Amino acid sequence: MNLLKLSLAELNARERVQALLDEGTFHELLDPFQRVKSPHLEPQGIIPQNDDGVVIAQGEIDGKRTLVISIEGAFQGGGIGEVSGSKIAGALELAIKDNQEGRTIYPVILFDTGGVRLQEANYGLMSIAEIGSAIVELRDSVPVIGVIPGKVGCFGGMSITAGLCSKLIMTREGRLGLNGPEVIEQEAGLEEFDSTDRPLIWGTIGGEQRVATGFADMMADDDVEIIKDGIVSFMQRAEGKPRSAQVEKYLSLIKGVDPTAEWSPASARDFINQQGSGSPSFEPAPSSSEEEKPSRGRTWFQALTDNQPSLSEDVPSVLCADAKLGNETARFLSIVPDVHHRFPRVLHGEVGLLEGWSIARYVRESMEADQGGTPRPIVAIIDVPSQAYGHKEELFAIHQACAAAVNAYASARLNGHPVIALIVGNAISGAFLSHGFQANRILALDDVGVNVHAMSKQSAARVTRRTIEELEEATKKVPAMAYDIHSFNSLGALSSLISGIDADSPSQEEVEAVRKKLEETVEDIREGGPDLKNRLISENAVNGGRKASIKVRKKLAEQWK
Amino acid sequence: METLHFEYDAKEECHKRAHVGVVASGDLEVLLEPSSDQKASVTIRTGSEGFGDTWDKVLERFFASHPVAANIEINDFGATPGVVSIRLAQALEVSRNHEPA
Repeated sequence: MNLLKLSLAELNARERVQALLDEGTFHELLDPFQRVKSPHLEPQGIIPQNDDGVVIAQGEIDGKRTLVISIEGAFQGGGIGEVSGSKIAGALELAIKDNQEGRTIYPVILFDTGGVRLQEANYGLMSIAEIGSAIVELRDSVPVIGVIPGKVGCFGGMSITAGLCSKLIMTREGRLGLNGPEVIEQEAGLEEFDSTDRPLIWGTIGGEQRVATGFADMMADDDVEIIKDGIVSFMQRAEGKPRSAQVEKYLSLIKGVDPTAEWSPASARDFINQQGSGSPSFEPAPSSSEEEKPSRGRTWFQALTDNQPSLSEDVPSVLCADAKLGNETARFLSIVPDVHHRFPRVLHGEVGLLEGWSIARYVRESMEADQGGTPRPIVAIIDVPSQAYGHKEELFAIHQACAAAVNAYASARLNGHPVIALIVGNAISGAFLSHGFQANRILALDDVGVNVHAMSKQSAARVTRRTIEELEEATKKVPAMAYDIHSFNSLGALSSLISGIDADSPSQEEVEAVRKKLEETVEDIREGGPDLKNRLISENAVNGGRKASIKVRKKLAEQWK
Repeated sequence: METLHFEYDAKEECHKRAHVGVVASGDLEVLLEPSSDQKASVTIRTGSEGFGDTWDKVLERFFASHPVAANIEINDFGATPGVVSIRLAQALEVSRNHEPA
């Protein structure tokens, strides 16, 4: 019997993989000697690393064929850039193919990441969308197991990725949350969250709390053998419904949360574990049109649905309606400001707890209704300033709400629904990942008010320890860091940039032009496949926008065993 | 950020490549690959500019006691001379003891 504990968290990313895999089975793809590193860091004066902070290895765990993906938290905070993100997405895509062809391979992801690497901003977002899509598809054949051993933890877009996993193992040191403590403090103020208060941080997003509230599945001591045993047990276990698909359960839970009450880790545990029983039910405040803030999300929703009332009566910040598109009916969804929102951190159209779970509900509703028939098009109208930054949001697992929305859109797409994202305003960060980034096709209005990015300039400057001026200087060298839609278009993810439209108050002709474009896009989608491949084969992607992403995938395929 | 290059006479052969370290704060990544030239050839990318003389002294001392013929690439994130020497020694040990990855 081995009485010596071996800490997993103390090891670096590569050592972690070597420790978990059965001896002698470690086969690394794109190892450091191949020098496939980020092309975007050196132009910004940042030292690159030869594996770009991600280790991809095939091997065996307990004799079972396994793919282990390990993120190096000590390199750039485990941030996901173009190369590191494509290594993860590309490896998962190869695992999908193997599993579909009957060659079972179990994916295990070791998370140690702050989320999107802000120095590569939109590359990180695009990769994380591709990673999320791959996990949803993989879960049809094998459980996808996530481990958060601790040091950095798992934040930002990658917390949404963790929320998509079938099973999650955490140590006490591990943390899982959408917004890191410093970012919440920056965006919402010290009163909302004190980023130096360690008991508050771990009581909100630490491993023990996450497992106690059911947002992770196993609390493990930081010991290689214990964590390995956990992985093996989750490989064997027949799988229940993943958390991100348990929409009704969590939506009713969140609807019972009183966001103005004082919540402690203990009271949150009690509330969640009693499934919100005994909680007051909240009547939505009546919304009157005079008080509605002008919002492109609302304008375009009303225009494209001919002013239909929304189906989502009890969540006024989410608009949902079925309306004509060509010869068929499409479902339109939009997230809009609600000045009466019960959650004070969600007054300006942010994606919060209710928004994530509600979007998931309305997407899934159309999937169920169309079973056996023609899957209807789903149009996500996007004008979202950010995800919601707040203490209660993290306590009640906003990353899981976002994962639910990602899961729903991805499942709808994979089940044959043509899903279109129409960007009419802001498409920022976790909000865009949740609402729109899983679409088959992304369309955007060509307008200065249309922006795509990973984080507000103020927060991005703080996190990367630069001034806003330095940050703006860097965006000139790396288009993925810029906020404007033309820079985003150069990366190849947009299938169409629609010009000549007044985004704030479109005329009837302009609305018709956009509707026409949507109809054409639906046809285009039905002719193509359900995956996100078009983002990598578009003209802009091939001509440089996704050069490294394409190269990484090609090399991974060559080295895959 | 600057890139430095140094060469030292080295006659000892090494047979296996080695990779150690992480580009983490105060640390560095070392890639060591055997060379058929009789010299140690070192390329350094570092975020801390103006320490060329210090690098030269640290490396000169290392290769004086371990004259290993190799191409070495270093990505440095502000490692101290002590950390640099330890990582180089570690790379050499891996190159002598372990099977190539």
